[in-house]
Amino acid sequence: MLSDDKKRPAKQAFLTGRALLNHFASDKKQVLWLSVIAGTLATFFLAMQWISFAWLVEDVIIDQHSFTHQPEWLILFICSAIGRVVSTRLQTMFGQNASIAIRSNIRKKLLFLWRQQSPLSSHLHSPAAAATQWVEDIESMDGYFSKYWPQQMLAFISPLIILCVVAWLNWLCAVLLLISAPLIPLFMILVGMGAEQLNQKYSLIRQRLAGHFLNRVANLTTIKLLHAEQAVFGEVEAASDSYRKIITKTLRVAFLSSTVLEFFTSVAIASLAIYIGFSLYGAINWGPASSITLFSGLLILILAPEFFQPLRNLSQYYHDKAAALGAANNLLEVFNEEPKQQSEDQVFTETKTDAKLKQITDKQNITPFPNQQPLLNIHNLAIGYSPDSVLAEDINLQVKGGQLLAITGESGAGKSTLLYTLADYLKPLKGNVVTFPGKQMPIAYLPQRPWLKNASVLSNLEEFAPNATQEQMRETLIELGLKEIFGKSHNGLNTMIGEHGQGFSGGQLQRLALARVMLNPTAIILLDEPTAKLDLISKEYIYSALKKLKSNAIVVVATHDLALLDIADVHLDLNQREGVEGAVLV
Amino acid sequence: MRYWFNLLYKTQGKRIFNGVLLAFITAFSGVSLLMLSGWFITATALAGLSISAGLIIIFDMYMPGSGIRFFALSRTVGRYVERLYNHDTILRLVSVFRLHLFKRLSALPMQQLRATTDSEWLSRLTADLDALDSLLLRFTIPPIISILLIISAAIFVSFIWPELALYLAGFLLFCAISAITLTIKCTKKLGIRSASLLNDMRADVIEHLSGRLELKSHKLLQHHERHILKRLDELDDTQASMFSRIANIQLLLDFLMVAGLSVLTIVVLYSVQIQVIDGAVAVMLVLMFLGLTEVLQSLPSQFSAWGKTYFSAQRLRPENDNVTAIKEPNKYPAKSLTITLNKHPNIAISQIKPLDVVLNENELLLISGRSGAGKSTLANILTGMTDCTEIKRSITSIVVDGKAQSVDLGVANRYPSIGYVTQSNSVLTGTLAYNLSLGLGDISEDKLWTVLQMVELDAWAHKLKNGMDTWLGDTGDQISGGQARRVTLARLLLRDPKLVVLDEPFNGIDALMAARIWHNIFSWLKQRTVVLLSHERPAYLPTDVVIQQVRLD
Repeated sequence: MLSDDKKRPAKQAFLTGRALLNHFASDKKQVLWLSVIAGTLATFFLAMQWISFAWLVEDVIIDQHSFTHQPEWLILFICSAIGRVVSTRLQTMFGQNASIAIRSNIRKKLLFLWRQQSPLSSHLHSPAAAATQWVEDIESMDGYFSKYWPQQMLAFISPLIILCVVAWLNWLCAVLLLISAPLIPLFMILVGMGAEQLNQKYSLIRQRLAGHFLNRVANLTTIKLLHAEQAVFGEVEAASDSYRKIITKTLRVAFLSSTVLEFFTSVAIASLAIYIGFSLYGAINWGPASSITLFSGLLILILAPEFFQPLRNLSQYYHDKAAALGAANNLLEVFNEEPKQQSEDQVFTETKTDAKLKQITDKQNITPFPNQQPLLNIHNLAIGYSPDSVLAEDINLQVKGGQLLAITGESGAGKSTLLYTLADYLKPLKGNVVTFPGKQMPIAYLPQRPWLKNASVLSNLEEFAPNATQEQMRETLIELGLKEIFGKSHNGLNTMIGEHGQGFSGGQLQRLALARVMLNPTAIILLDEPTAKLDLISKEYIYSALKKLKSNAIVVVATHDLALLDIADVHLDLNQREGVEGAVLV
Repeated sequence: MRYWFNLLYKTQGKRIFNGVLLAFITAFSGVSLLMLSGWFITATALAGLSISAGLIIIFDMYMPGSGIRFFALSRTVGRYVERLYNHDTILRLVSVFRLHLFKRLSALPMQQLRATTDSEWLSRLTADLDALDSLLLRFTIPPIISILLIISAAIFVSFIWPELALYLAGFLLFCAISAITLTIKCTKKLGIRSASLLNDMRADVIEHLSGRLELKSHKLLQHHERHILKRLDELDDTQASMFSRIANIQLLLDFLMVAGLSVLTIVVLYSVQIQVIDGAVAVMLVLMFLGLTEVLQSLPSQFSAWGKTYFSAQRLRPENDNVTAIKEPNKYPAKSLTITLNKHPNIAISQIKPLDVVLNENELLLISGRSGAGKSTLANILTGMTDCTEIKRSITSIVVDGKAQSVDLGVANRYPSIGYVTQSNSVLTGTLAYNLSLGLGDISEDKLWTVLQMVELDAWAHKLKNGMDTWLGDTGDQISGGQARRVTLARLLLRDPKLVVLDEPFNGIDALMAARIWHNIFSWLKQRTVVLLSHERPAYLPTDVVIQQVRLD
């Protein structure tokens, strides 16, 4: 496998969800920083607004001037209020734009990874759970990128601006604020650590809950037939209830962090108000108390909550962050899995546009195999999901184009596992599989329960054979004995297939799936139990289809159907592999 | 949405009242803290001035001081309690909704159940129900609090300056109501669109991943992603325009508030100048306005979830499902039952001549026919999985123990319990023991091993690391098709159905093993009415077994 030797830049492993979030945030750093700058401007305008207000109040109330005495202060007041509002709008806009772009990137990256990794990866076991990750988990990162990330910076910058203003007015008040400020992050860190862990658990439970529901709903028929409704109601209730308890637990802690801030804000306002009041009254004389005027006193009072506001916002967005981290941690498994193969990646490198993609798809169809014959060479192969449980070993055989390999064996003997290994979805435990053409070329694999989209027959066929004409489709379907699709009770190629294959029998679905392979034949074709659900007549159709397919390809069939052995050229019996040295030529 | 609002108020009325009260106390304390502080320092400044000018003034420092401390505390505590309380309310409600919905789902006739795709059900059960928490946390509490605060502020101001109170209340109410209506009007459609896109994408992704084995082999995964990517682009655009609309409404509201603040500042300062009110009151009024602004400002972002919630509520609305009550089955099984089918669309042979299917107690009936001939359709009719209306159309008569019975009742309720092994293996996520004993309550492990032995899974199960507690995966991928088939058979053997319908029971199991298993379970089958569906007389059936046969070819 030459392709593997070409080193790509070392794949980045993400140790934590935080690293993953940072990695994706860094792509849009400029926009996020624009958001921070707008936020800083907003704080600046806010300070201006209240300075001019306090000045006006002092001027009118204490000095008893007319408020039009110096109209520039009034104008400054109104202008800076407008400036603040506009800056806030800009801050939101930049944050949201960045968030949309980043989430879109993560989703695309996830699709890319799914494409690269083995389809047997454990995180793909439940498509519903994986879909929840892709849709909901990534959606839940919105708040982190649009609000939390910029706020992280602003929580430092904005209080600093306010502090400077307060220090200019009265150093003692500034010292008071400064002392209380570091306490807050400290509390938040303590509280946050607990909340983060809880949130991770919550996210995991939500995902499991989704998987559990889909599974039970999909099997509702079985549940009803077994009269197990009551038992499952109990299960559903217990699941929802534990979900509720865990969320409440998360919230109890998450709210605590904002309460700490709330408390500090309240205490700061209260104590500053009292200190300022007493100083103005003349009851306190020490320190800088005597220099306090209504202007500085009022300004400090109004600015004090604004000093805490950025931090309060940060804690308000805290569960955005926790949710994003939890979601990111769930994604770690996918992101850190070693890319199994670069197979498709290689075929489609640099294909960004549809046109180019089409070109390549076309190329696949035109030249599935060069002049040389396809070849499948299995050497000393041992298969299984883990080295502890080897399902079959010492498999040696060679199959050429034009031959059909039949794999038989009792159920559980490893027939499907062998097919997975041949399809390169599963690494051999020992030995190797060499194919020509190489592994980067498309093959066809058809599982026991073929996948059919909840769409028309036409789009199902088109998905695998984009270049087949409707006439070819029609011919192939009739060739496979599916004439009834064009009959009165059906709607031809526009007949819809339901999610459970509604409207078609198991045998018909199997043949529909085989039609897709016939319309876009590949050099190697792997079929898992293609005749298991068929009656004799249907089986005959399949047999002749297999004969046709194998004429210029290698067909590998895992089967219980002994009649299939008649058209097999090579027979591998996984139950009798000892002593017979793998394969027998029929 | 009205339905869910009603349900919310009916079931949780008291908790909502308490929640609103707590939230009001919190918000009230916040505004009061700001007002009182502002008044206090201005008043002390004025008093201080008078004192230094030599006047003797009696000014109580301690009353306002303790007021400030009180509000500071009540705001903090109130906020924490209120948030926790209201979130708990909503989670309780969602938990109740969830079970309610699941129960309704399972009461649906099978056919209707399959008409809606599974991925959509999933999204209903979790995402939609979660979205409903906005009803309380966003659409009930914040507007009520805003209005209550405006009213209490107006009452307070009316003691000082009634005319100003009127203008102030009018202006703020106008701002609040227009912010709410404008947000709903401008973002509802986009919200619905974006929610439905997310929902469609979930279905797309599930489909994409379900097909991964086949798509990957053909190297067509990326090609297939185009469906998802197209929607993703649309989602990005929709969200971008929705966000910008919300931000614009926010901007508009902020502008109104700035205008209000500016006007109020000018008015009160002028009033101080002409000595209508004193300076402390003027500052207090401005700070009160500031406090109210903070509360009103959250309204656009709260109501921006309207579209999303509407979408969820709409899909959850009860009219969607038309629940039919399940009829109680008969206590005693029918001794003989004849069902006559005529012109059933999926059973080709019945279109030529009426088809009689006769079930006799404790006899074996073989229904044979090629794939597509209508075997599974017939099995669904016999087991009551088919919609009643469909039965009526094609069933001409049902005769039970010699007496004709109404066609409406169907066949299934003539048997106290029915065992049905369908063509597809349904292995649920859960342990092996769970899968076997589902719905049976407590059952001894010995019984489980006995049935596993009958289907020749005991050796395999003994080898498993966790034995009976082995977790069978979501897609049942950890066990082979033949093993899954045998699990469903074993599951059946634990029960005591009077009618057993087996649709290709030994699919994916080799002939020898099938014959052995048939032999093992034959004594169990002998005591029941059995309908076996197969392409032809199966090889595992010993030649000496007497059977009735219905051919669909």
